[in-house]
Amino acid sequence: MRSRWLALLSMAVAASAATRPHYGGTLRVEIQESVETADPPQTGRGMPDLADGFAITRWEAGRLAVYSANESAPGGRPYLDQVEIQMGKPLREQGIDLELGKADVVQLGTRPAAARKTWASGPVRLMVLVFNPRVADARIREALAWAVDRTAIHNVLLQKQGEIAGALLPQWISGYAFLFPTAPDLGRARGLAAAAPAGSRVLSLAVEDAQLRPIAERVALNARDAGLGVAVTLGPNADVKLTEVRIESDDPARALSRLAAALSLPEPARADTPDGLLSAERSLMAGFRLIPLFHLPDVYAVGGRVKGGPGITPLGAWRFSDLWVEGSRP
Amino acid sequence: MTLRTRLLLIFVVVVVGTVALVEGLVAGTMRDAFERVENQRVEALVAQFRREFARRGEEIVRAVNSIAVSDTATSIAVAPDPAANYSQAAVLAMAHGLDLLELVTGDGSIISSAEWPARFGYKEEWLAGTTGWKSHGAFLRREEVAEGVVLALAAVGETRAGDRTLYVAGGQRLDRAFLASLVLPAGMRVLLYRNLAPQLSAGELMDANGVPAQPGEFLALVDEVRKNPSETVRTFGSGTRTELFHALPLTGETNNVLGVLLIGSSRAELVELEASLRYTAVALGGGGIGLGILLAWWATARVTRPVQALAASAGKVAAGNWETTVDVSSKDEVGQLALAFNRMTRELAAQRERLLQAERVAAWRELARRLAHELKNPLFPLQITVENMQRAREQYPQQFDEVFREGTATLIAELGNLKQIVARFSDFARMPAPEMRPVDLNGLVRETLKLFEPQLAQAAVTGRAELDAGLPQVLADDEQITRVLRNLILNAIDAMPGGGVLTIRTERRQGAVRIEVSDTGQGLTPEECERLFTPYYTTKTHGTGLGLAIVQSVISDHHGRISVESQPGKGTTFRIELESQVSR
Repeated sequence: MRSRWLALLSMAVAASAATRPHYGGTLRVEIQESVETADPPQTGRGMPDLADGFAITRWEAGRLAVYSANESAPGGRPYLDQVEIQMGKPLREQGIDLELGKADVVQLGTRPAAARKTWASGPVRLMVLVFNPRVADARIREALAWAVDRTAIHNVLLQKQGEIAGALLPQWISGYAFLFPTAPDLGRARGLAAAAPAGSRVLSLAVEDAQLRPIAERVALNARDAGLGVAVTLGPNADVKLTEVRIESDDPARALSRLAAALSLPEPARADTPDGLLSAERSLMAGFRLIPLFHLPDVYAVGGRVKGGPGITPLGAWRFSDLWVEGSRP
Repeated sequence: MTLRTRLLLIFVVVVVGTVALVEGLVAGTMRDAFERVENQRVEALVAQFRREFARRGEEIVRAVNSIAVSDTATSIAVAPDPAANYSQAAVLAMAHGLDLLELVTGDGSIISSAEWPARFGYKEEWLAGTTGWKSHGAFLRREEVAEGVVLALAAVGETRAGDRTLYVAGGQRLDRAFLASLVLPAGMRVLLYRNLAPQLSAGELMDANGVPAQPGEFLALVDEVRKNPSETVRTFGSGTRTELFHALPLTGETNNVLGVLLIGSSRAELVELEASLRYTAVALGGGGIGLGILLAWWATARVTRPVQALAASAGKVAAGNWETTVDVSSKDEVGQLALAFNRMTRELAAQRERLLQAERVAAWRELARRLAHELKNPLFPLQITVENMQRAREQYPQQFDEVFREGTATLIAELGNLKQIVARFSDFARMPAPEMRPVDLNGLVRETLKLFEPQLAQAAVTGRAELDAGLPQVLADDEQITRVLRNLILNAIDAMPGGGVLTIRTERRQGAVRIEVSDTGQGLTPEECERLFTPYYTTKTHGTGLGLAIVQSVISDHHGRISVESQPGKGTTFRIELESQVSR
């Protein structure tokens, strides 16, 4: 009986040791982005978020960044000794490295979550079609807006990640996003396209990221059904651009303002009420210069030895100070 | 044209004709044989290509069925969320070497599309509307992809899992890559026209390297097959670039022409072989003709040489060389001819010799007769005179002196006659060579006629001169020509004992002058005409028979000709032609 109690006690101690934070170790992070600047980025999401608890100790532009724990961090020294960030890693390689234990945190993209553990932010990335000002015929822009079958893309290409978007701000921030229509209306789209001159019914659709190309191809196929000829290209100079814009704040007014700035739209009118904000957002979207498609979360797959967390905030900011890894010193 | 030339030409024509005929027959027969073999080769190549095409279709069917029966297909069929298999088609297509692959649910919704990934969720009604895909085999299909419309060799497999059905529609594009992947025999190429648009378009015609050069001629054939979907054969190009094309319509499920396959087989080898044979035939033919001509030349020379010798010998005989003989070198007909020729010439020479002897004897006899006759006439008076003088001396001495005087006078006169006769014979024997100088024949005629005016008047003969005023001078001896005219005038007077008309004409001829002396006497018989110029022959009771012989001798010495034309009772015309060597 006593030995049995001893065994149970040792198991409890072991479990307590495993869940108890401890210092040391290196968190290996892989990201798809490749920052080519001479110095580490100071603003934005990701690496700049580490500035609170870590200090950059090694920087190889576009390839590697090593952050070491700041012993005098305001919130106290992080548990991790280092955060090692491999840049420019394709999503597929990231998944393989995670499976092989070569990485602890990788981006998941739209792949099915094979990992047991994931971190997901709120839907903070707006995938949006942005028209070049040279596309002057509003009927063409509106036709494309009504032609896109967001549901099919969401179900298949995005594997149901994020939310279908008809508005700039996500529902969890604004609370009124459901008021913006998202369902396709092919008949209406065909009517609008048919009313436009034939020459204007041919558009080029650019994607900044090759990962977005399948979505762009599907948009082109939907547009084709509406009578628009859309050719997908890789490059900046196109009639329409499929891009992602990050929502930088959970404050609706500030988020809308920053989105407008990021999309080179006029500064929205100052609004303190939901109705005012809705009106401001509608005015931003008037003329169908923008076609919001989806609000997507940042999703990371996390290795089994990473403890603590989640390591990201709802807005997708990294919070690695409270993480520790197995095998490090207690 | 000589006999040798004629024979040579005949031989050459026969040789050339024979060689050309034989070569034509041989070349035609060989060409037909080669064409037959080439056509069989092309048929075999086309059949081989058809098998290759069918094999590719079977490969596609196998690949599609392999996917359809795989666990992957089953798991896709039973998957609760088809969206999870959105990218499977591309993976499976790559693994099975397919260009096109769509995974489609039982209701026709596309789960995953390798050729157009964005088409997930779209409907493929044609799949759900047909049953029995497993036994359907490969077929041609017009397939829409992101970049447009393509032509595909496709097959469909089915996976059934419980109440669920998964269609696996896969295939390969019929494009340049497909054409390049075909295993083709040497000398063959394949062109494909994708009949995907109503209008004929050169851009839809391709071979393994892209758009072929000069597509126009192929498009005409394609258009013909499009309008009449049946296999059509055409030949394009020329020389070693000649190609025989079989155009096969590629029909789809509803027998609509989706494409036209042009299977070209180069005829370069055949053309080169035929050219080689042609060159060889021409060389052999040329050589044969050349050899034939040489042999013909040799044969004709061999055949005609004795004939030529015979002809030359005959010419010599004709020229008076009676002793000519021909060498007899063979025993054939030509040799026998040569022998006969030699025998003939010997016989002719002998006969001529006998004739000459006879003529010589006859001439001597005639001369003796003439001499006897001419000498007898004066001798008889001489004898009578001498006998009268002897009788007068014996019987009438008192009258002897008178008889002697008359007798001696007669003797002197008759001796003069004898002397004159002897002088004439002497002149004929010693005819001098003519001294040629320009002579006005008209003047000679006038002068001679003037000398004979008294005699003509005495014989009641009218002398008439019809002279050509444009008569040129001739090179002649005027004294001898005058003697000719004198003899002919005397003959004419003798021929007209009862009087008549003597006409002398001169006339200018082509390169010659003609003198005619005509009388209106009793004329001559043909026999007399033949012998008229024979020495010592005469039709008259007096004369030596040397006059016309002298005339002929003079004319001959002047390189002229004399002839006689006469009919009994209508007079006689002597015609002399002399070369006119001096023009006036």
